[in-house]
Amino acid sequence: MAPVTTGIAGTGSAFMATLKRDLLIASKRKNDMLNPFMFFLIVASLFPIAVTREPQQLTDISAGVLWIAALLASLLAMDSLYRSDFEDGSLALLLLCPQPLYFMVLAKNLSHWLVSGLPVVLVSPLIAYMLKLPAESYLPLFLSLLVGTPVLSLLGSIGVALTVGLGSRGLILAVITLPMTVPVLIFGTLAVQEPRFGADLAGYLAILGAQLLAAIALAPLASAAALRISVN
Amino acid sequence: MLAEIQFTSLAEFLAMGGYGFNVWSVYVIFAVFVIVNLLAPLHRRKQIVREFKRRESRQSQNVTDFDNLESGNRQEDLQGQLNESRDKAANLPGDRK
Amino acid sequence: MNWTWFHQLGSPKSFYALTSQWLPWLVTVMVISMTAALVWALLYIPPDYQQGYTTRILVIHVAVAGTSLAFFPLMAVAGTITLVWRIKLADMVARNAATLGAWFSFVTLATGSLWGSVMWGTWWEWTDARLVSMLFQFFLLLAVIALRSAMDDNDKAAKACALLSIVGCINVVIIKYSVEWWNVLHQPNSPVGMSNSGANGPEFWLPTLLMVVAVYLFLTVSLILSTRNEILHRERKAQWVRELLAAS
Repeated sequence: MAPVTTGIAGTGSAFMATLKRDLLIASKRKNDMLNPFMFFLIVASLFPIAVTREPQQLTDISAGVLWIAALLASLLAMDSLYRSDFEDGSLALLLLCPQPLYFMVLAKNLSHWLVSGLPVVLVSPLIAYMLKLPAESYLPLFLSLLVGTPVLSLLGSIGVALTVGLGSRGLILAVITLPMTVPVLIFGTLAVQEPRFGADLAGYLAILGAQLLAAIALAPLASAAALRISVN
Repeated sequence: MLAEIQFTSLAEFLAMGGYGFNVWSVYVIFAVFVIVNLLAPLHRRKQIVREFKRRESRQSQNVTDFDNLESGNRQEDLQGQLNESRDKAANLPGDRK
Repeated sequence: MNWTWFHQLGSPKSFYALTSQWLPWLVTVMVISMTAALVWALLYIPPDYQQGYTTRILVIHVAVAGTSLAFFPLMAVAGTITLVWRIKLADMVARNAATLGAWFSFVTLATGSLWGSVMWGTWWEWTDARLVSMLFQFFLLLAVIALRSAMDDNDKAAKACALLSIVGCINVVIIKYSVEWWNVLHQPNSPVGMSNSGANGPEFWLPTLLMVVAVYLFLTVSLILSTRNEILHRERKAQWVRELLAAS
């Protein structure tokens, strides 16, 4: 086990160091931040062109479209979570750290979500307006995405960690990750749709919140185990 | 035991009270499913035996085994040996938790 | 605690020897029970007052569907053994279980559709929670198979699939409850005759029970057969496998 000496940083400072490092790297690479955001905008704009221009029909599908666009944007962004670290060897170094890997993985997930997930959440009301989502659903949409997209990131992280060493991993990542996102998608879209018909928003957000807590508790453990399998 | 045979003629049996297509489709799917999943392993076993015999006869014919000079097979051999020794280690009783 | 017995059971050689003894019995009981269940189901079940002869579909569907739920727990347990004790036999079982489980899920969906096309008037019904969660179990099993085939390194693939099976097992349960909840909330007026609880007399559930036993035996036999193949293939350099193959 890890030798506990005075020279080794505590878990908290290791968490913060990983977080700062990843945010610093992300700030140098604007594309990683911009691409998921652009993808979200473009995919959401394709639906009115492909499906319908009728405001009423757009209203009906908008919650689902927004959630699926956010889901795909998060999935496509996932690939950059561990890849560059894997390629330059810093991931292998991370695994050698004496601090619990759980917290480093959590830090990496957090920074990745701040960079690629949060912009999508922030811009969602604008797209919601373009897709004719009723005005009273903006807040439910914003809140459900705010609580739900971190779950998507945490789940996606397991898939990326499992496939990080593979040559072609784009589709396999989607095949592994997408079925796992069903519960988030169900309650995310319900949280947007149902309050319009008098249901209580807080209940849906509570379920999403419970999923987020469960994902925070368990998913980094699975990601950490997957990284130990994939790297070395 | 609990009931009698429900049909008096073969035609009636095939018709299944008008649901013949669905009922018989299900039983055909089930039969294919069971048979395939029992025969496929038996077929695979024959394949493994055949592969083994071919490898053996080749090795006994050629003193210099050209197949094994190919890097692919060489690698496979090394991998096999590695797996074997790893197995031995894994199956050792004793000091593992 | 002495774990010798555990490692002995987990050794491919003793598993092979043990199953050589079991197989004749298992196959005999399987053939008898399956024949009996099929004859009973096809000939003797009286028509249901609502569903007519379609209860014959349910005998198969219920047995296969119930059995298919065993695969993710099985793979999760095998995965845990692979990750914790590094016993290769567990992975050999898990690998074949994924493929067989995908078959089971597919047959469940197909027979369910064939039943639904009569009773609901549609081949696919998103409001049926069982059908939808079975679909996602099918997808998750395919994901495990896809991950396995994407990885070249046997050892790494074993561990990765083990982990994905454990995660998938937890996920299947969450999906099942989410989908059920979703249906209750989202679609209060489900089609009439949705539940298959209409047929539940002993004249129906006795042959179904027999069929469940037969299908479980079939699962066991098929899994043992393919695991034995996996042993012969992966251990082909071992002396006992060479002798065994040379003799056959």
